[in-house]
Amino acid sequence: MRSTLFSFSLYLVLSCSAALAAPEVGQANTHEFQLSNGLKLIVREDHRAPTVAHMVWYRAGSIDEVNGKTGVAHVLEHMMFKGTHKVQSGEFSRLVAAVGGRENAFTSRDYTAYFQQVEKSKLDEVMRLEADRMSNLNFDDAEFLKEIQVVMEERRLRTEDNPSSLLNEALTATAYMSSPYRYPVVGWMNDLINMKAIDARDWYRSWYKPNNATVVIAGDVDPQAILRAVEKYYGVASAKELPERKPQIEPVQKGTKRVQVKAPADSAQLAMAWKVPKLEVGRLDDNEPYALELLSAVLDGYDNARLNRTLVKQERVVNDVGVGYDMISRGPELFFISSSMAKGKTVEQAEKSIRKALKEVVDKGILESELKRVKVRILSDQIYKRDSIFGQAMEIGSTEMAGFSWKDIDVMLEKMQTITPAQVQAVAKKYLVDEGLTIAVLDPQARQSGESKQGGNRDAK
Amino acid sequence: MLNKFLSRGSLAIALIVGVSTSAHAILPIEKLDSFKGAQAYLVQTKALPMVDIEISIDAGDRYDLGVKSGLATMAGRLMNYGAKSDQGLLNEAQIADEIADLGANLGISVGGERAVMRIRTLSRKDLRDRAVQLASAMLSAPTYDAKVLAREKQRMTTALLESETKPESVLERRFRKSVYGNYPLANSPTVKSIANIGATDLQQFHKQFYRGDRMIISIVGDVSKAEAAEIVQGLLQRVPQSGSPVAKLPEFERSPVEPLSQREVVIPFDSQQAHIAMGMTAINRNNPDFFPLLVGNYILGGGGFVSRLMSEVREKRGLAYSVFSYFAPGKDAGIFQAGVQTKNDQATLALEVMSSTIAQFIADGPTQAELDAAKANLINGYPLRIDNNRKLLDNVSSIAWNNLPLDTMEVWTKQVEVVNLEQVKAAFQKYLAMDRMKIVVLGAKNK
Repeated sequence: MRSTLFSFSLYLVLSCSAALAAPEVGQANTHEFQLSNGLKLIVREDHRAPTVAHMVWYRAGSIDEVNGKTGVAHVLEHMMFKGTHKVQSGEFSRLVAAVGGRENAFTSRDYTAYFQQVEKSKLDEVMRLEADRMSNLNFDDAEFLKEIQVVMEERRLRTEDNPSSLLNEALTATAYMSSPYRYPVVGWMNDLINMKAIDARDWYRSWYKPNNATVVIAGDVDPQAILRAVEKYYGVASAKELPERKPQIEPVQKGTKRVQVKAPADSAQLAMAWKVPKLEVGRLDDNEPYALELLSAVLDGYDNARLNRTLVKQERVVNDVGVGYDMISRGPELFFISSSMAKGKTVEQAEKSIRKALKEVVDKGILESELKRVKVRILSDQIYKRDSIFGQAMEIGSTEMAGFSWKDIDVMLEKMQTITPAQVQAVAKKYLVDEGLTIAVLDPQARQSGESKQGGNRDAK
Repeated sequence: MLNKFLSRGSLAIALIVGVSTSAHAILPIEKLDSFKGAQAYLVQTKALPMVDIEISIDAGDRYDLGVKSGLATMAGRLMNYGAKSDQGLLNEAQIADEIADLGANLGISVGGERAVMRIRTLSRKDLRDRAVQLASAMLSAPTYDAKVLAREKQRMTTALLESETKPESVLERRFRKSVYGNYPLANSPTVKSIANIGATDLQQFHKQFYRGDRMIISIVGDVSKAEAAEIVQGLLQRVPQSGSPVAKLPEFERSPVEPLSQREVVIPFDSQQAHIAMGMTAINRNNPDFFPLLVGNYILGGGGFVSRLMSEVREKRGLAYSVFSYFAPGKDAGIFQAGVQTKNDQATLALEVMSSTIAQFIADGPTQAELDAAKANLINGYPLRIDNNRKLLDNVSSIAWNNLPLDTMEVWTKQVEVVNLEQVKAAFQKYLAMDRMKIVVLGAKNK
């Protein structure tokens, strides 16, 4: 599980006026346009190197899926490489490779995104290809039948043979009662087995429209030239009304839920997740999400942060511990703490220690010095993050997909710096309570493995 | 959060660690005066007020004795957890707090050949100086406190036992044992070998290997040459220049021709997917055939979605999500490795397809069209290899560690450009052979 600072840095990349000397960044380097077909374009100028990142983000992820067709957003992502009316299957990747490009795509709960990184003179070529598949995707059933096998292999690799993934999947499906956040992004295996080519095509026809897309381009570019190219290539796509998105508000949880997963592993794992608020669009001044972000950093943001210090180093009750919270997302958020047990320790002992550490925050609050420390790290990360052009495009796109503007990023960063220890204590007290808690436990099972049974790979040679 | 992102392909597959060059101005590598026997290099980049510093130490896992396998890794990692500084003893909490307060990142990793400490800090002098002082204390005087050691041994053991339930870890460990043979990189830590490590071992290991004449420093960022020299001197001020001689490592012997039964290992494992690894000894980074092999492997299994392995295994047959090949050329030892994962009842087929694809490539080499496409990708894509400080640091570090010429980045595309069909075919035939390939199949192969 990745540390909270990582999630900070994804979202808060821009300039900071505070203690550390920040370079001049800012809104002058970023340009926003909207085409008449509804497509949004955001250009971030960064002239350090002659390269460019080109991304198109569709606001369609597993949160938009329905039961029985889980995983379809991700399956369609795979099918997007399988040809259009003009470009044969596999040709997309060959053409991108020919210009020296790096490319890929990814699907999350909130969105699906496609990208190429190229030397700047090659941008036109990849933009033409990307725009083409926004409107002209055309794959045959045979391609689908092969690719769905690939996706099932992907699920086996990432989930079926990975106990931490199985635990996380069970935790998520238990914590959420009605929100589609309960679906794994890759989809349930049975839904993949029963998925048809037409399901993927329906998904494409529903969501892959210019009025549901944001193009983000970062690098050594001229914004006006980019606008002309984007109008030329993406401007031909026609807008279409999108399917209605039901709110699907998650009902209030009324008591602790528990789930157990038995899977091959050596150590037990414990994950605890609380329902907490996220940052809502139009309410950037809500203290609580920022306080939760800072709480996660105080607990787990650096090597001597509270949980690592007490649970791993002092009490030695867990081997590893991690905290996760993302204040920026489309769906309902969880604040979660995951851990794997130290040798000879039980999940009951770990749970007790975690609760004790949290109670300490609730009862006594946090130190001003701790909070300052994690705030300094947030500021320096803003500068480090700018080393990556791709990272900048990622940060803009993911923020936009959650319904915010890239312009809000500065505001969020400033707001983050105003949060007090009392506000951090207050969210811990208010939200890390049993009513909204889900606990998942991995109960390790022995592997049926030839070699490790003989102890062959445990002995020195 | 877990499961948040799913990517179409595995981005993580390692290609040959390459460096590159361009039609655009390439930032020069400046050689700094060596200090305490350590070489030092700088690339100045001024756009961002930050600096990346890497210290490579010739103190990798290959210097472990089998009975204490894990020693080199632990000697490196525990530098974070206590050190004597000019201001007195710093415990692990103080070190971690100081790094956080500086807004710096400091990480230590130990690989087969070298231990690597990387520091990223703002370039403002007061912050940078404190980061350098801290790193200097760790490099010169780690405390290796017995209590911390006991805890970390236990954590390492627990992680090891966990890894023995993971198919990819078991496969990798067994493959290393096969491919490295008598070379010490065949060893992996075991419960027993970790138990054998004591605080005195760490002190001795550190004293013998962490010294100026075994270190290389690479710096990229917003510092002048004079400031970079200050950084080097600050880092090494209390590090000894040299020490007792280090025993010569055994020769890295070429994988021999063997009947299949002796080259192939089958590990029964109850995972849903079979995991397969295939490979053999290959070349070092400074080998003149590096470029024909780089270009050739792009075609065979390195070129993302357009390689032959990807096409045969995934695109045509839908057998796997991930399939790849790469050369991993080190300074003194290098290997070729290919891999695939597929559900158990397809393992035999996947192995056949992978083997025949590799065999055919060794026998016939690429087509002219494939060669042209590979060169176009590598040359056109060159600027993406050096477009930020982090990537520049990777390049400088590789050049320094492997004793490559300082103009390596400038001539890289030219070296790709001149590769021809015959060279690729000849190089693959010279270094690879199917009757030498080690194979490990984990899973239920013939189910």
